Amino acid sequence: MSIQLTEGVQLHLLPTNKYKTIQITLKFKAPLKKETITQRTMIANLLEISSKRYPTQTAFRSELSELFGASFGTAVSRKGNQHILTVSLNIVNEKYLTMGNGITEKAVQFLEEVLFHPNVEEQHFDQTTFKREKEKLRDDYDGLYDDKQTYASLALQALLFEDSSQKVPSIGTAEDLEKITSSSLYQYYQSMIQDDEVDIYVMGDVEQDEIVAYFKNFSFNARQIAPRSPFYQTTSTSELREKTEEQEVTQAKLNLGYTTSVFYHGEDYYAGQVFNGLFGGFPHSKLFMNVREKESLAYYAASSLDTFRGVMVVQTGIDGKESEKVKAIVAEQLYDMQAGDFTETAFLQTKNMLKNQLIQSEDNPGSVIERIYANQLALGKTVSLQEWIEGIEMVTREQVIEVAKKVKLKGIFFLSGGVK
Amino acid sequence: MEKIVYAQLDETVYTEVLPNGLTVTLLPKNGFHKTYGLFTTKYGSIDNTFVPLGKSEKISVPDGIAHFLEHKMFEKEDGDVFQKFGRMGAAANAFTSFTQTSYLFSSTNQVKENLGTLLDFVQEPYFTEETVNKEKGIIAQEIQMYDDEPDWRLFFGLLGNLYPKHPLHIDIAGTVESIMEITPELLYTCYKTFYHPSNMNLFVVGKLDPDDLMTFIRQNQAAKTFEEAEAIERFFPEETVTDIRPFHAISMPVNRPKSIVGIKGAEPAPQGKEAMIHKTKMDILLRLLFGPTSSNYLRLYDQGILDDSFSYDYELERSFNFVAVSSDTKDPERFSETIKAILLSAKDSPELTEKNLMLIKKRMIGQHLQSLNSLEFIANQYSQQTYGEATLFDLVPIIEAITLEDILYMADQFMHEERLSAFHILSKGEKKE
Repeated sequence: MSIQLTEGVQLHLLPTNKYKTIQITLKFKAPLKKETITQRTMIANLLEISSKRYPTQTAFRSELSELFGASFGTAVSRKGNQHILTVSLNIVNEKYLTMGNGITEKAVQFLEEVLFHPNVEEQHFDQTTFKREKEKLRDDYDGLYDDKQTYASLALQALLFEDSSQKVPSIGTAEDLEKITSSSLYQYYQSMIQDDEVDIYVMGDVEQDEIVAYFKNFSFNARQIAPRSPFYQTTSTSELREKTEEQEVTQAKLNLGYTTSVFYHGEDYYAGQVFNGLFGGFPHSKLFMNVREKESLAYYAASSLDTFRGVMVVQTGIDGKESEKVKAIVAEQLYDMQAGDFTETAFLQTKNMLKNQLIQSEDNPGSVIERIYANQLALGKTVSLQEWIEGIEMVTREQVIEVAKKVKLKGIFFLSGGVK
Repeated sequence: MEKIVYAQLDETVYTEVLPNGLTVTLLPKNGFHKTYGLFTTKYGSIDNTFVPLGKSEKISVPDGIAHFLEHKMFEKEDGDVFQKFGRMGAAANAFTSFTQTSYLFSSTNQVKENLGTLLDFVQEPYFTEETVNKEKGIIAQEIQMYDDEPDWRLFFGLLGNLYPKHPLHIDIAGTVESIMEITPELLYTCYKTFYHPSNMNLFVVGKLDPDDLMTFIRQNQAAKTFEEAEAIERFFPEETVTDIRPFHAISMPVNRPKSIVGIKGAEPAPQGKEAMIHKTKMDILLRLLFGPTSSNYLRLYDQGILDDSFSYDYELERSFNFVAVSSDTKDPERFSETIKAILLSAKDSPELTEKNLMLIKKRMIGQHLQSLNSLEFIANQYSQQTYGEATLFDLVPIIEAITLEDILYMADQFMHEERLSAFHILSKGEKKE
């Protein structure tokens, strides 16, 4: 059941008695702009630790502890042309608690406090908290260098895209952070609360009327949402972009980026899923079988799709001196896919694995909400599991070959272990 | 088949020990689509010196062999087991820890076929010179991947300080050198000793019919023959507090330095349900000292000495137990000195009050109930069998019964300076963007 609380703010109720918990997720969506990504990350971080009534982490987390250890968190992410700020709260269903009467209502009140009453005075965020969170986010940006898989992924992303808003990490940049002040951030917070499209999901064994009544207390104003394609269309270039970097690491990382025709629930979507599964998505895939099992060149060699940006990324961790060999093997696997050189067994197995994965995701409240939200973003409606499964079943070998032919290598980032 | 009902949690567990010694536990959760099966042997990376089944002399095997064996179980004469699961739409995987190796599948249909595949592939080893040698390159890459992961190196840095002789300090996958010594013969020796059904347990959770599935498992096991079981003799080097290295540091290509502080527990730690109570007391003590509602956390966070990478944990398993507290930090020295001071004065800490204890118990119970949403979590916890008869469904009453006196006693007993150590990872070279 979905209810419009006001224009641009939807409440979706997902009743189930499968879990011992109630999951509440709020999604704030805005058009992706490089300037606002970092501000949104700062807001997510501030909302995660403080509010007017609970100004310190001790006070804030004590209230969550009183709600029987409610899990509360915020996060930011990029989906194609949009930036999403997610606020989630997970509580134990009162039914399983001896002294838990009323915690659902209190949990929703807590969310209201966090969202509408941040720790603000005189039109700016509390200075001390703001300063510390700014320092912490600067540290987080520094830390992106430390995990080499993350580092290599981000470096490939910067290489693959043209728009600055697509090149940067979804948590923003140190450069943009320096421009933010506690008052400019408060201004942005106000426009976010007023203008972002909001979707609220509540999943669990709840009284629907009560939940609706609780959320009606949120002072959301009506907002106009301009229709906009959620997808980012990257350009394919004839020239391959390559970048190599040396660091003192033991294992080299070779990451390859491709443009594809596969967009979320677009024409090539289901065939694209099958293609990716066969190429590098599963342990029976060509990348796993050839780079790892046959040639013993890697522990991991896998592909994944970003269907809001129409790209595919291959990630491998290898011995630096084998990079040319690995590149050649990966290219050969793509060529074989384009030539239709994959077995019927592998083809059917991929479909089975995809179906199994999809049905299993129904057992996790977080992934159900993510899927329904992605549907909402791309299509404005929910695609039933049955429809999805049929979509996978209908895919033909020819369609997979056609999708494979449209996959074009665009960028290669190589982090070599050369220095050691 | 024994039936245990946990009324408050609305869960029913079915369990049976089969004639060959295998412990089977089934937990139906029929609202779920999936079924998750976990087949576990009490054999991990630390079990590298033992008396092989049917022999009388102890042997030492190359480091990383338990993990290597786990990899090689998937390859059979007629191909790869992943494919067999895949054809039935099931996903399969395995993992090796310090004390156990587990094999798993998850599927949404054909549960019996998939469970049969799980039991059969783990109970039919196939190792050849060729397949063993081929795996060495793959695992060498896995080891090198972990070599570059700062958090992994930090954790093993602490273990190297606390357990310089005990095999706990060795990477679970071994070293690039040690795995080169692995042969099919050695794998068979380890297999026969540690994969006997009496050293294993099977846990299945999710959509299932307990009677039907137990009948299937009994038949599958009755059709196989195993050697007579013997009690497994494992050997670990003697260590004293003087072996502990109080401090060590390394440099890595990272921007953010890291620090970890640990305290090694005194042997022997409690066994069975007592171990679960003991572990829970320490978990509460650590939450009181360092949790998000503690004033220590707030102070150190505000001072920039720790950030949200901060974590604290008490590990208690067969043959070892230690506390570890770590964070990314701009000042590793100050972090470790501050944490040491808090640990060593724990029994006098102003955080240890009735009010704080109540709050933390409430939070722990709630978090525990939330974690029961995950079938994987339930299966993994249940299969560890660290606590004898006690299981994760016994945790709530254990938490409820713990008193402030218990916590004060724990703080007094555990925190000793001579058992304490710190390890730092420093940035190498210039800061990089």
